[in-house]
Amino acid sequence: MHFLWPYFKRGETMTAHIYKNKKPIIFFLAPAFAFIIIFLYYPFIQNIINSFQEISGLGSSAKGWADPWYSNYVKLVKDENMWIALKNTLIMLLVTVFGQVGIALLLSILTDRISHGAKFFRVVYFFPIVISATALGLLFNLIFLYDKGMINQLREIFGATELVDFKSKAYALITMMIPVMWQYVGFYFIILVTGLNNISTELYEAAAIDGATPFQQVKFISLPLLQNVISTCVILAVTGSLKVFDLPWTMFPKGLPNGETWLTGTYMYYQVFNANNVDYSSAIAVVIVILGVILSKLVNSIFKEKEF
Amino acid sequence: MKTTTVKNKRKISLGQPIIFLLLSIWALTTIYPIIWVVLNSFKDRRFILSNSFKLPIGDIFTLDNYELAFNRVNILSAYKNSLIISTTVAAVVILLAGLASYVLVRYEFRLKKLLYSLVIAGMMFPAFSTIIPVFRMEHSWGIVNTDNLYLSLLSCALPQIAGNLSFAIVVLMGYIKSLPIELEEAAYMEGCNIFQIFFRVIVPLTKPSFATVAIFSFLWSYNDLFTQMFFLRTKTQWGITILLNLLTSQEGTNYGLMASAVTLVVIPLLILYIFLQKYIIKGMTAGAVKG
Amino acid sequence: MKKLLALLLSLTMVVSMAACTKKEDPATNNNNNSSNNNSGATATTAPTAAPKKVTLNVTTTYAGNDGNAQNYQDAVAAWEKASGNKVNDSSSTSDETFKARVLADFETGSEPDVLFFFNGVDSNSFVQAGKVVSIDEIRQSYPDYASNMKDGMLGASPADGKNYSVPVNGYWEGMFVNKEVCKAAGVEIPDANTTWDQFLETCQKIKDAGYAPIAVSLATVPHYWFEFAIYNYTSSTTHSKLPGSASDAQGQAWVNGLNDIKMLYEKGYFPENTLTGTDDETVQLFIDNKAAFLIDGSWKVGGIEGLTSNIENFTVTYIPGKNQRKTTDIIGGLSSGYYITKKAWDDPDKRAAAVEFITYMTSDEMVSKFANVSATALKNGSSVDESQLSNLAKDGLALVKGATGMTGAVQDLIPTECRVPVFDGMPNLVTGKSDITESVQSVLDLIAAQ
Repeated sequence: MHFLWPYFKRGETMTAHIYKNKKPIIFFLAPAFAFIIIFLYYPFIQNIINSFQEISGLGSSAKGWADPWYSNYVKLVKDENMWIALKNTLIMLLVTVFGQVGIALLLSILTDRISHGAKFFRVVYFFPIVISATALGLLFNLIFLYDKGMINQLREIFGATELVDFKSKAYALITMMIPVMWQYVGFYFIILVTGLNNISTELYEAAAIDGATPFQQVKFISLPLLQNVISTCVILAVTGSLKVFDLPWTMFPKGLPNGETWLTGTYMYYQVFNANNVDYSSAIAVVIVILGVILSKLVNSIFKEKEF
Repeated sequence: MKTTTVKNKRKISLGQPIIFLLLSIWALTTIYPIIWVVLNSFKDRRFILSNSFKLPIGDIFTLDNYELAFNRVNILSAYKNSLIISTTVAAVVILLAGLASYVLVRYEFRLKKLLYSLVIAGMMFPAFSTIIPVFRMEHSWGIVNTDNLYLSLLSCALPQIAGNLSFAIVVLMGYIKSLPIELEEAAYMEGCNIFQIFFRVIVPLTKPSFATVAIFSFLWSYNDLFTQMFFLRTKTQWGITILLNLLTSQEGTNYGLMASAVTLVVIPLLILYIFLQKYIIKGMTAGAVKG
Repeated sequence: MKKLLALLLSLTMVVSMAACTKKEDPATNNNNNSSNNNSGATATTAPTAAPKKVTLNVTTTYAGNDGNAQNYQDAVAAWEKASGNKVNDSSSTSDETFKARVLADFETGSEPDVLFFFNGVDSNSFVQAGKVVSIDEIRQSYPDYASNMKDGMLGASPADGKNYSVPVNGYWEGMFVNKEVCKAAGVEIPDANTTWDQFLETCQKIKDAGYAPIAVSLATVPHYWFEFAIYNYTSSTTHSKLPGSASDAQGQAWVNGLNDIKMLYEKGYFPENTLTGTDDETVQLFIDNKAAFLIDGSWKVGGIEGLTSNIENFTVTYIPGKNQRKTTDIIGGLSSGYYITKKAWDDPDKRAAAVEFITYMTSDEMVSKFANVSATALKNGSSVDESQLSNLAKDGLALVKGATGMTGAVQDLIPTECRVPVFDGMPNLVTGKSDITESVQSVLDLIAAQ
């Protein structure tokens, strides 16, 4: 197995040879894409049509075409809340990519290097993902609560006299993003740990024989071989931040305070379930999907160019 | 020789104690909430908001929340329904996504880029925007709102499979891309056809990846209250997550009941996860042996 | 095992897909829904050979944490036993997902036989589509149907003014009071004679004593204050009417009412976090002796009973009034009722069973049991065993008995999507970020656009 280190690029000529016969492709792709097309694309085309119509409640039929037909998209461009949502989502996106994936990467590499207890950490890091957003929302609401909240009580012990409203304008975004960031670290952690597990131990052994320090092993084996998985995580983080809504919604329903905390996900949810504007939220959904595809392409191209 | 090198890998400049410290700090933040939930599940709803960080002892302690939860839902049948749906979803998702992602990584063909974009976009579709057409479609097939338990479970599982496929394909593609192609070449030289290469080389090598994707597909299907609300209607059809939906009313949210429901919902997930963990580690050694 | 499951599932999938292609393309029958419901569950479950015994599909909101969930289950079991029919119950907690599900059912033709649902604007779509049967039509075949109810209180449909549903338990809205806070602040508990100005003085004293006078989350649930603030500029006969514009008399009442809320906010009578906290948090302030007053509905009697260890510390009274409105004029009504769907009505076997079921569920005895302290439409009034009630619940009963006038909530006439500028926009109104008159006008414009 020594030939694998240093890791070299795939033998392109060979690939072409094995995978030249393209007939089997259809058998591999058909089942999955049949599902995707029937249960995702057919309904979503309906959603695109909805975005040009007038629909109030979810489940009720359209009252007719919007007038003019593109009016929801005009409204969207003029909607102040939508711009706030986009701005906040962009911040959220940076927090997710660097916070969630960054911390997860660090934790996964560290767990990969310890001799005992890795199993334990893998289990406990998974906890936040399994608890429902309603319960976590309640917990964080109680931690950040204005009156008698955990943090305000701690501050009191250390001599603070004024209560801080962590949900007020000055703190709202931070109060919202910390729990979201924290919750999903475990998700990326598990994906990355699995990626690390896929790397053969013999590579490290070979490297060690050649005198590579542990730091070099991480830099020259783990990271390059993990590149594809990291790229996957970043794509998941980007798409995830565009649609995240449950935890932010339980903590900051309706963009509290004063619409400062809208995210594209929560704003879309609000339009469906609180404002009964199914047509408008369909338009938001279309925008989210388009943004997601563009950003994912961007991520892919960045990772393709970048060589470790 | 081997043993010394293995030891060598374990050593890192920071030193084990510091690594342990860092990992433990994060572990504290993740363990505490679950303990908090479990502790609060033994408190009366009166004390959850006012005494949420105290231990449930003395006056505060109660088993009522669990009694209530057990009365509201036939827990065993709800667990069974949830397990059937989510296991089916996870199994179908890893099979179909495995096949598709392998081809999407290894083959070069005209529609490849388009298909990949379709998958990425599919990840972003919000559930509410697809549910009504899916509901209509399944109704026209006659599998929605029937007396037949298994048809109802199926009607719930189908959209969930589709919803998890995109994610699964994206993640599996990342893993398969990282596989050295030499093993496939060796198998090809030995005369394996493409299906054999997939099932005998790719699947064993990426077993941990399949386990990971299965865990998340299971988890999301299991926690997907929204789809369950539409397709599972009568008490005999309810999944366990429905418990969580029974907690709000105009009287206010019953947080004590919520904590007990979360505990009841989470337990099987953790058991499953710990169980599948073994496969993640087994996969690693198996992969190493094959390589 | 797993492999077997997977195989089974893919098999069933293939079969169901095949079934799909044989039928007409679902895309083409999106909007005509009633024509094609032969595959519905109900048709197969009704044993046509034995015409008497049927399985009724029933959907209600009596589920989960609803105070009547247990009563409902007991009643259903008793009816099944007495009639020999079966009930296939798909009740669920009422939330937005549930509403969407019910509407989707009507759209696809898989609606239940009997539905207990809201009678306000939420019912418009299926009433207009002719999917439920009016009481008048039912009475042509069953003259005694709902004869124990006052017709004027059945809850006529906002769509065409006809009665479609038979109500059970209604609601009233009142002001809950934390006695200990009042005592600590040295103020009298408001009663039937308290005026608005006296109420404002009381609030000031409570505030000076270091408590929050009024527990409300303006950010998430401004609904009750919206209602009563406007009520203070209308009367029990004129309240439940939509203004034509923000400048007519009714429109001015809305603007004045909202200005009062703004005034209360500016005087600091609401909690510090009224614009950032959730309803749960502000209710908790009230429970924890940190706020004196809470306006809410009759359902909160049970809510407060569940939240406090000292129920004696709480009472409920009238919201102090001014102008035309007497303090004892309250808001209340019956916002949900039992519908019979056209589908069940047209099925000769189910027709009788559905009527029988609803008659059973809306008998004097049953309604009294469900309604407890809340309002009913019974001609004879409800009979409640007072010895079972907490003092707070008794105060609630007294409140209804002493009422000099009652009106429905005007917000029930506003479709959810039209409420946004004033309800979700309330924080903007009280902080002066949006203009009140303009916001009222945009609500009315949205309604007009419907």
